[in-house]
Amino acid sequence: MTTATGNQDRHSFFLNMGPQHPSTHGVLRILLEMDGEYVLEAEPVLGYGHRIQEKMGESRTWKAFMPNTSRLDYVGALICTHGYVGLIERMAGIEVPPRAEYIRVITSELNRIGSHLLWLGAFLLDLGAFTPIMYTFDDREQILDILEDVTGSRLTYCYYRVGGVNRDIDESFIEKTRDFIRRLRGRFKIYQDLITDNIIFIKRVRDIVRFTPDMARRYGLTGPLLRSTGIRYDIRKNEPYSAYSEFDFEVPVGTTGDCMEAYQVRIREMEQCLRIIEQALDRLPEGPVLVKTPRKLKLPPGDASFSVETARGELAYYLVSDGSDVPYRLKIRSPCFSNLSLLPEVCRDMLLSDLVMVLGTLDLVIPAIDR
Amino acid sequence: MDETDRLIDDLGGLPAAVNRVDYRRRGFHLEVLLNAEQVRKLAGMLRDREFYLSFVSAVHLLPAIEVLYQFASFALPCRIMARAAVTEGGTMPTISDMFHGANWHERETRDMFGVVFTGHPYLEPLLLPEEDADLKPLLKAEGELKTVDKISAQPKKDAAEPPAEEER
Repeated sequence: MTTATGNQDRHSFFLNMGPQHPSTHGVLRILLEMDGEYVLEAEPVLGYGHRIQEKMGESRTWKAFMPNTSRLDYVGALICTHGYVGLIERMAGIEVPPRAEYIRVITSELNRIGSHLLWLGAFLLDLGAFTPIMYTFDDREQILDILEDVTGSRLTYCYYRVGGVNRDIDESFIEKTRDFIRRLRGRFKIYQDLITDNIIFIKRVRDIVRFTPDMARRYGLTGPLLRSTGIRYDIRKNEPYSAYSEFDFEVPVGTTGDCMEAYQVRIREMEQCLRIIEQALDRLPEGPVLVKTPRKLKLPPGDASFSVETARGELAYYLVSDGSDVPYRLKIRSPCFSNLSLLPEVCRDMLLSDLVMVLGTLDLVIPAIDR
Repeated sequence: MDETDRLIDDLGGLPAAVNRVDYRRRGFHLEVLLNAEQVRKLAGMLRDREFYLSFVSAVHLLPAIEVLYQFASFALPCRIMARAAVTEGGTMPTISDMFHGANWHERETRDMFGVVFTGHPYLEPLLLPEEDADLKPLLKAEGELKTVDKISAQPKKDAAEPPAEEER
């Protein structure tokens, strides 16, 4: 600790935030140089949860790596798996039945809402508001129940297969999903009153940080944070994969790019997810949900990339195949990695309590960063 | 002539080999093969055109490690995959002054492959612990190493024709 012995020097001290700090949401460590309550420099220290996923990808067959993909961004596991099966199908030239693509869209969007709800609760918990997480988890619980019925798991889903999905959805799934859509639409009003219009919340999150489009380009910022700066960029719209081009939905954007706008983008995004699910249920095609693929799937030599819009931004898989049934190189680009990399720039001269809000806004999933 | 065509022309002048590829098969629009000396020029050009950096990584091949750069644009439907072989000393110029996000990606690439990015402000281990700084876990063992042509899309009859038709 330093004491004020003069006014010409910068009296700073170092503070370790994490790796076991509740508001880093996982084993992330941030080394802070502080001046009183103000952050002078922040340096994220990564790697505590590094499992060398990319090497694992090179040591097993395409299909055997599938469960790993749901352990990257485990809050949006289905979306991560979506990208991986999409990549294999793209390279192998496998046509997926329309019904399977629709089921993927429905389940992915449910997963996205679940992810946003978890974020919403945890974000407010960081802020010191305990009540909202009770509401968001109540809603998220419904999604987990719906997905459990069809996928068999509640968090690290491995439901998609190369060529379709593991099992078909039934009437009960459709009915429960429609009930959930009705339910969540009714809840937005509660969230509006409880959070959005809450003066304490507004004062804590408004204008504490400014994300800009140029910053987004320099750091590769994607997802709701990018959209909060006013750039309408969503992989589901800009490079539509799966069946996304068949649905009518909007991409909500903000204007100034602060925590409040990122919050609003996420809330409005949940409404759009409901619209997509509703349309997909209404127009659900008949037919098979899985095409037969060879047990030993060999991909042609060459390279390919596949990007999906996760709840946090662009997740990209890039693979190099040498013609065998095991990847030669599999690169996983996680949105959280790039999103976190701008933290040192944005949090300079910020209050420590505001840094917690920025970290919350980034919506980090550490296993996806460390891989 | 649209914006992508103009970009292809400019990239070709780097000089670099620029191929328009089939997006449905590859997941990107342009493949750019260039030398290490041109990487900074490429980055500068894409920075001016408001591209963002998706990632930097590498792949271990014979005769050299190739560094991968993926760029995309918020405005244009144009995803670029660039590959450059590292020079014999194992170095590559950094682009982290133009694309600040490359800072971490380059550190990770150094962790995994040992590629040294010259001009990088802080090339310390990122994901690996300090004591494993020279582990280079993603380098291939001798027997697993493949040459560049083994991992390039073979110009098979069915694969080569559709893009050719598109050009006409």
